[in-house]
Amino acid sequence: MSPLLEVQNLRVTFDTETGPVEAVRGVSFSLGRERLGIVGESGSGKTMTGRSVLRLIRPPGRIQADRMVFDGHDLMTAGEREMRALRGKRIGMVMQDPKYSLNPVMNVGDQLTEGLRRRDGLGRADARAKALAALEAVQIRNPERVLTAYPHELSGGMGQRVMIAMMLIPEPDLLIADEPTSALDVTVQAEVLSILDRLVRDRGMGLIFISHDLRLVARFCDRVLVMYKGKIVEEIAAGRLMQAQHPYTQGLLNCLPRIGGSRAALPVLDRSGGWAQEGTQ
Amino acid sequence: MAMIDIQGLSVTFRSKGHEVRAVEDVSLSVAAQESYGLVGESGSGKSTILRAICGLAPVSAGRILIDGKPLPQGRAFSRQVQMVFQDPYASLHPRHTIDRTLSEPLAIHGLPGSDAKVVQALQDVGLPPAFRFRYPHQLSGGQRQRVAIARALMLEPKILLLDEPTSALDASVQAEVLNLLNRLRAERGLTFLMVSHDLAVIDHMCDRVLVMQHGRAVEELARADLANARMQTGYARSLFEASADRLMETK
Repeated sequence: MSPLLEVQNLRVTFDTETGPVEAVRGVSFSLGRERLGIVGESGSGKTMTGRSVLRLIRPPGRIQADRMVFDGHDLMTAGEREMRALRGKRIGMVMQDPKYSLNPVMNVGDQLTEGLRRRDGLGRADARAKALAALEAVQIRNPERVLTAYPHELSGGMGQRVMIAMMLIPEPDLLIADEPTSALDVTVQAEVLSILDRLVRDRGMGLIFISHDLRLVARFCDRVLVMYKGKIVEEIAAGRLMQAQHPYTQGLLNCLPRIGGSRAALPVLDRSGGWAQEGTQ
Repeated sequence: MAMIDIQGLSVTFRSKGHEVRAVEDVSLSVAAQESYGLVGESGSGKSTILRAICGLAPVSAGRILIDGKPLPQGRAFSRQVQMVFQDPYASLHPRHTIDRTLSEPLAIHGLPGSDAKVVQALQDVGLPPAFRFRYPHQLSGGQRQRVAIARALMLEPKILLLDEPTSALDASVQAEVLNLLNRLRAERGLTFLMVSHDLAVIDHMCDRVLVMQHGRAVEELARADLANARMQTGYARSLFEASADRLMETK
């Protein structure tokens, strides 16, 4: 089976007054119907990689790639009309913070049904029924009330679930989740993850899970890409993360405190190695 | 004697006829040079306790003693107690240089020798002296949090209140800041009252921890009890189980 998404030598460049800055520097990966994690620190280019797939990078940012193909669609040459048909419908994206990503002056019901009514031309009642079903799928207990609520009336966990529900209504083949749980409390986080997990399994969706939390990604994904300064430094099966070879991956793992761990100073990431220097592989 | 002694603290916010009980009847006591943690989910009232100590939240019942005495007011308070906030992007004045940020507490208290003290303070938190003349936007998140810690220590307080000091930072930078806080506590004999939603961070930093939920104290745990999962209440256990640190082991 050919992969769902294939990316070869992706580069994202921002032209600034002091010259071009490369946020992503030659990233290649392919994705089937599986859960792929992308991990890295802030500024490692993980979010930019996710956004590139949807071509959601504004000028002065530029996307270049030798090849970027989603299910037969060449994402590099697709026109804006073709991209709009893909966004949401075939490739969904869950953003990090429900506080900033939902429309604050539109109630949840209108936001959930907007696409259904405009794009699919559904009637009000049909769209509402679909929205209710989507809210139930993300385990919101009283979906009728949430439909009439505005984003500020929802807690962080509720808002995040609403965003996931919104992305799942068109039943995309690929979901890109950019830090979908980092604004949430740990117990809510576990719930949201299990919802995502079930959806991936039941619907056979592909998932790109972007996060800075290595432990979370390792538990949740099948495969992990570790990024540093715009490059993939290591690709590893999630179950084998503890045997990671790259000093950066090891550093990221070791610097986390553990319950019942030693009280000694935490190991700090050593960036003196050759891998950390600019322009080296 | 306890350095921080809180008995039956309640904090109630009132607005337009609404009453929100953010903290209800919480008692805790932190010994001198101890490090004490408050853990819970958002809305559990953990940060409100810190704010109540600083006089930033309306206390409706209970009492707070610092070093056996009622809360000192004004400058006497800031000499004894200082706070480090969660978001280093928001807690430093964007249009003041680091030098001005650090020397302001000294100026307010009329303390001499600000020049040398600023250089020393930067050195203590591991920043080069040249950073004096930078603005916050020229620093990374971890560097800003170091500045916030340096500022809190300018008046040589006995107590540091830490409100999620590393939750806005990358894991690798978090390790550096936690190490810095631990070193400063050992060197200066500081007392920490630290809030976090991350049990692993609390476990690394604190001798005892109070688990909070919906404004109430649920359970106090010593470090050994936490490590060996000897918690009495279901809520403390669920928080423990959901901690990212545990997730990996149960895989």
